[in-house]
Amino acid sequence: MSSDRLSTTFSALADPTRRAILARLISGEASVTELAEPFEMSLPAVSKHLKVLEHAGLITRGREAQWRPCRLEAGPLKDAADWLEHYRRFWERSFDRLEDYLRELQGKEKKDGHDDEH
Amino acid sequence: MDTTTSIDAEERERELVITRIFDAPRHLVFQAWTEPDRAARWWGPQGFVTTYCDMDVRPGGTFRVCMRSPEGADHWKQGVYREIVEPERLVFIFAWEDGEGKPSHQTLVTVTFAEHGDKTELTLRQAVFETVEARNSHHRGWTSTLQRFAEYLAENR
Repeated sequence: MSSDRLSTTFSALADPTRRAILARLISGEASVTELAEPFEMSLPAVSKHLKVLEHAGLITRGREAQWRPCRLEAGPLKDAADWLEHYRRFWERSFDRLEDYLRELQGKEKKDGHDDEH
Repeated sequence: MDTTTSIDAEERERELVITRIFDAPRHLVFQAWTEPDRAARWWGPQGFVTTYCDMDVRPGGTFRVCMRSPEGADHWKQGVYREIVEPERLVFIFAWEDGEGKPSHQTLVTVTFAEHGDKTELTLRQAVFETVEARNSHHRGWTSTLQRFAEYLAENR
């Protein structure tokens, strides 16, 4: 995945209202009015957030003229989750090696009598 | 060996957090992060070999490291040190390089080293931000969204 797309995803996720909207959409499609309900926010303000989410590819909107239902899109969120998981694995595996290396270093210090902690 | 790896559930709301206790004194763990010869020995998954390691460990100093996978593929990582408080704290910008040697998505990594008797508790926090300019803004909460979404995907396969 391109770095730009990832940046767009994280940028879209950087707002609590937009995260709440996404969380709401996990349970199914919703109209702008429905999405606006939990927030003390005007419809245009909510629409603005929806545009950001739509631009990031995190949601799509139906074509029906009257109530264009918003729908969650799996791709970008999955990519972002994978990216985070990739880092978690990278560090965990590195730390396994660091553990071995530190053990080796200390074994050497003791053998050489250079235990400088004492 | 008494070692643990845990992820703080609350902190997870904000960023990637990994905690681990190493059975080694703090100065030794800190050296393993800040001396190139030592960092080259462990920084990367098992089977990876560090083929290039340049680290200028001072605030504003840069690092560039190449690790070669068992299959022979080179992975370059680079960044800039922002804070060095020996032997307790290390803060740096981290990014993998793309195919043209340019940094891809940048992150801010904060490593703290706490003494636990003869052992050292290391905590790594990796925060996400879309640009270096935005590095001081806090993008809290998105990991919990991702977590919920991952669960959702698992349930709806």
